[in-house]
Amino acid sequence: MERTETKDPSPGPELTSLTAVTVRRGLVAGRLYLAMGTAIVLILSLVLVHAKSGVFAVTFPLEVPLFATLGSMGGLMLFASDRSKGVLEYSIAYGVRPGWLFGNILVASIVLASVVLAAALAVGMGAFLATGGQITTDLENTLLLYTVPMTYAAVVFSTVTGMIWSSLSTPRMGLNSPAGIAPLLAVAPTILVLVVAEASPKSDYYYITGGAAAAFVVAALAMILLSTRWMDPERYLSPM
Amino acid sequence: MRPGTPGLVCDHVSAGYRATPVLNGVSFSIGAPGVYVVLGPNGAGKTTLFRTLAGILAPTQGSVAIDGLPVRDQRTRDRIHFLSHLDGIPEGLRVDEAVGYYAAIERAHREDVDRVIGLLGLEELRHRFFSELSAGQKKRVSIARVFLRERDVYLLDEPTANLDPRVAAEIRELLLSLSRRRIVLYSSHNLFEAREIGSYVLALKAGQLSLFGRISDLRSATYSVGVRAARGEEHLPPERKRGEYYVFELNGPEDVAPLIQDLERRGVQVREVKEMGNPLEDLFT
Repeated sequence: MERTETKDPSPGPELTSLTAVTVRRGLVAGRLYLAMGTAIVLILSLVLVHAKSGVFAVTFPLEVPLFATLGSMGGLMLFASDRSKGVLEYSIAYGVRPGWLFGNILVASIVLASVVLAAALAVGMGAFLATGGQITTDLENTLLLYTVPMTYAAVVFSTVTGMIWSSLSTPRMGLNSPAGIAPLLAVAPTILVLVVAEASPKSDYYYITGGAAAAFVVAALAMILLSTRWMDPERYLSPM
Repeated sequence: MRPGTPGLVCDHVSAGYRATPVLNGVSFSIGAPGVYVVLGPNGAGKTTLFRTLAGILAPTQGSVAIDGLPVRDQRTRDRIHFLSHLDGIPEGLRVDEAVGYYAAIERAHREDVDRVIGLLGLEELRHRFFSELSAGQKKRVSIARVFLRERDVYLLDEPTANLDPRVAAEIRELLLSLSRRRIVLYSSHNLFEAREIGSYVLALKAGQLSLFGRISDLRSATYSVGVRAARGEEHLPPERKRGEYYVFELNGPEDVAPLIQDLERRGVQVREVKEMGNPLEDLFT
């Protein structure tokens, strides 16, 4: 395959960086998903705080990655929009690397997911502590070795899969669109890891969850590398 | 035509989309500055040609180069401006942010953004969201990016579509002034526009280059008019009759008035004169 020399855009100092612009656009385009993800995780947290003893500590750390992924959909929506409007086509014509475009969207998705994660941890844990809950070692470990890494792993995995899905397909509306499919893709790793971890000895639990999160991130980055290396540039063209 | 030839060289290029070939063995070489109007009916391959020349689509056969360097080399990309039929403006941006977005990609500066906004008459729109603009205003914003930095080759796919006649004329003037020192490839469905600004024409038909030449040569070679007579039809040469019209081949539109005077001297009262077989129109059939 012909090698293509490309560049990463770096604007003059007085112009806003494209990554910052993409993040801001992600916040605007994905505000509905962001509001939904944040609202659901907060409502569930408050419900769990008032449930019977022990339910919060078991359930709260598991729900956060799912709703953080839902909140991050703005990034993927930008990618689908940029492709259909010809933004990717122009960027490639000017020599921007597809990998840089993928990375930019990924940063936007991670920022969006961080908003949900931060809100969930602040409000959920705040309410838990305010109602007399105790942070046990198990809860602390679960938050640090499952909730946080799996949130980012699920977001990275679903965003990358969604971007590749979007590049390989013609635009579809509704659930069958990349933005509709992506939350389902994010559920798969989190559920799979939970099933495997629960079936394993307690001593291996966090190795499995932490290792699996790292594996999903590596898999997503490998998908970016492979797709930007081998995918035809025409896949980034608008189908319009 | 060899890859080392100076200028823009398209050498036996075939290109298309996945299993659908569109261009088939297109070859031409452009060395001199000027406006090269790309004409052809819908589906002839104009957009695919522009995408291939811009290095977005890889040819399945053949090559595209500028001054001997492949078009997909970054040094060559930096010499090309590309404008597609899509506006390419990212969602959720205001006009000045949209121009700034491409300025960032172009490594241009804030003053370039301000200059281009002034040049395209976008001052009053600069703080409005792109999505709120009319089709013509959107097109103006979309065109703005090609004036951020001067480059050697401009690939412009229908740059004046959706523009009102005054703005279209202003854009044509800007491009004409650029074309004195740059190569401008310009696709259009507007034959008036092609005649007005084009120095050369590249015609595509079914993915192949059917014509490449000076527009002036094309006009003088086959310009013809049809004449219908109200009276004195017997004085018209019968061998020129095609249907209801008597067809005369002329050097150009400037010969129409003398033809009518000549016919009237011969006793023909002319009812109608119609352009027949306009060579540019023929390129669309």
